Amino acid sequence: MLDVEFAGLKLNNPTVLASGILGTTGAALLRVARNGAGAVVAKSCGIVPREGHPNPTVIEIEQGILNAVGLSNPGVEEFAKEIKIALQGGVPVIASVYGFRVEDYAAAARILADAGVAAIELNLSCPNVEKVGALFGADAELALEVVREVKRAVSLPVFAKLTANVGDIVEIAKACEEGGADGVTAINTLKAMAIDIRAKTPLLGNKVGGLSGPCIKPIALRCVYEIAQEVDIPVMGCGGVTTGKDAVEYLMAGAQAVQIGTGVLTRGLSVFRKVALEIQEFLEERGYSCVDDIVGLALK
Amino acid sequence: MHEMQVVKIKKIIKETKRIKTFILDLDVSAIPGQFVMVWLPGVDEKPMSVSYTKGDLGITVLRLGDFTRRLFELSPGDMLGIRGPMGRGFKVYGDKLLLVGGGVGVAPLAPLAEEALAEGKEVTAIIGAITKSELLFVDRIEKAGGRVLISTDDGSAGKKGFTTDVLRELLEEETFDQCFTCGPEIMMAKVLDITREKKIPTQASLHRYFKCGIGICGQCVLDGIGLRVCKEGPTFRDKELRKSPEFGRYWRNAAGQKIYFGGKK
Repeated sequence: MLDVEFAGLKLNNPTVLASGILGTTGAALLRVARNGAGAVVAKSCGIVPREGHPNPTVIEIEQGILNAVGLSNPGVEEFAKEIKIALQGGVPVIASVYGFRVEDYAAAARILADAGVAAIELNLSCPNVEKVGALFGADAELALEVVREVKRAVSLPVFAKLTANVGDIVEIAKACEEGGADGVTAINTLKAMAIDIRAKTPLLGNKVGGLSGPCIKPIALRCVYEIAQEVDIPVMGCGGVTTGKDAVEYLMAGAQAVQIGTGVLTRGLSVFRKVALEIQEFLEERGYSCVDDIVGLALK
Repeated sequence: MHEMQVVKIKKIIKETKRIKTFILDLDVSAIPGQFVMVWLPGVDEKPMSVSYTKGDLGITVLRLGDFTRRLFELSPGDMLGIRGPMGRGFKVYGDKLLLVGGGVGVAPLAPLAEEALAEGKEVTAIIGAITKSELLFVDRIEKAGGRVLISTDDGSAGKKGFTTDVLRELLEEETFDQCFTCGPEIMMAKVLDITREKKIPTQASLHRYFKCGIGICGQCVLDGIGLRVCKEGPTFRDKELRKSPEFGRYWRNAAGQKIYFGGKK
């Protein structure tokens, strides 16, 4: 009943681990897979190792979290070994790649494709590293170019993860579709900050970062709703999914799967199993036979 | 929710040439083995074991790098950011306890000894350091009524050698219900090997590079077992650690690259 197909990927339920949460090692991804995620997206990886920003990198705030981890990763060669461990989880493993140049995306994607990932998600939208966020995800032509180059480099489904820190997210989504994207993920975290009034200074080491969690759900939901009406490729909803009800909202807005990140903090690692069960309960109560039955209901 | 609390340093105690205790104006109770994230605004934030768990919270810190150097420049009245206490502390169920601490690793063991002794349990602590003047909390544990056995690398106090040498000798004579260890990871791995032979259940407190400290970033997940040091740890059972190829061998730096203890692969 919960099975979904997303751009050719077979998921046993529509919950997917969002990039940047726990996906830093194979062991961590494996644990999420064993906690019921339908698929997992690894942490964003680039061609060379990166330490990221100084701490605090993750801060809890009301209704969400703020992070500025800063794309830390051990480099794609090293990370490919972690991916191989994650594959033992038996669910599709999606790699996330970032780059400072178009060719960096393609180079990283190629190595991760060889490691056996099921799809590539393009991080076009990191809000806390200069150039990665601003440049690619906010410029339709550049976004198109990244998608096209990565599609040339690998023969896997390619998803573009978009930012809402732009004037018109639909325009970027359409450009990605034109470039050959097989799906889009909406949305990445929203650029934000917090200040400690006793220390009189920003809380995050990087001063600004990305906001996630229940507080961004209404914005993310609106983005999914708008994108789903304008593109033919599937959309993965991402932003504040904590309960089955949240997931159902995204599905009705036109998403075919939902990513969960911050929900791990509030409901624990079993959030994937819990949300999947809650979706199932909803479907059964209302007499629906599968997830597809409710996809896009609110669009009509 | 673990909100950042910016608090005053009440008191600073110079424990050794390289170790200081910071008593904070923060009245929360912690379980020995738990940690706090310590924030120096504009510098960095690092996890530290709680060394005073009742009343005003305290941390005991070894000066090691840039962050601790900056911390050591602070005076009473200065402010620190604190998140926590967090993580899983030590779990005591036996009556006859053995503690093995190396260097600043004695920090979480001292409050454990005090609490156990106050409950009428029997505590033996093996405390090691490079030299006599770097021994931590020997008086504190003795004052609480515990028995202390000492080792120093240079032989300036107690047995010349390592805590594990003292441990081996002691376990020829005596047995214990439980063992608790904290210190350099190679030492802890040896402690676990020795106590396993003697069938003494052992808990170890691990140190890793932390980012979020709240179980979501994945930075500190142990290979092989998938457990998060900041969430399911920092204290682990011997049977958990034995399943991790990472324990006693390597850790991960901020980039997530494996760094092998002692530089060996």
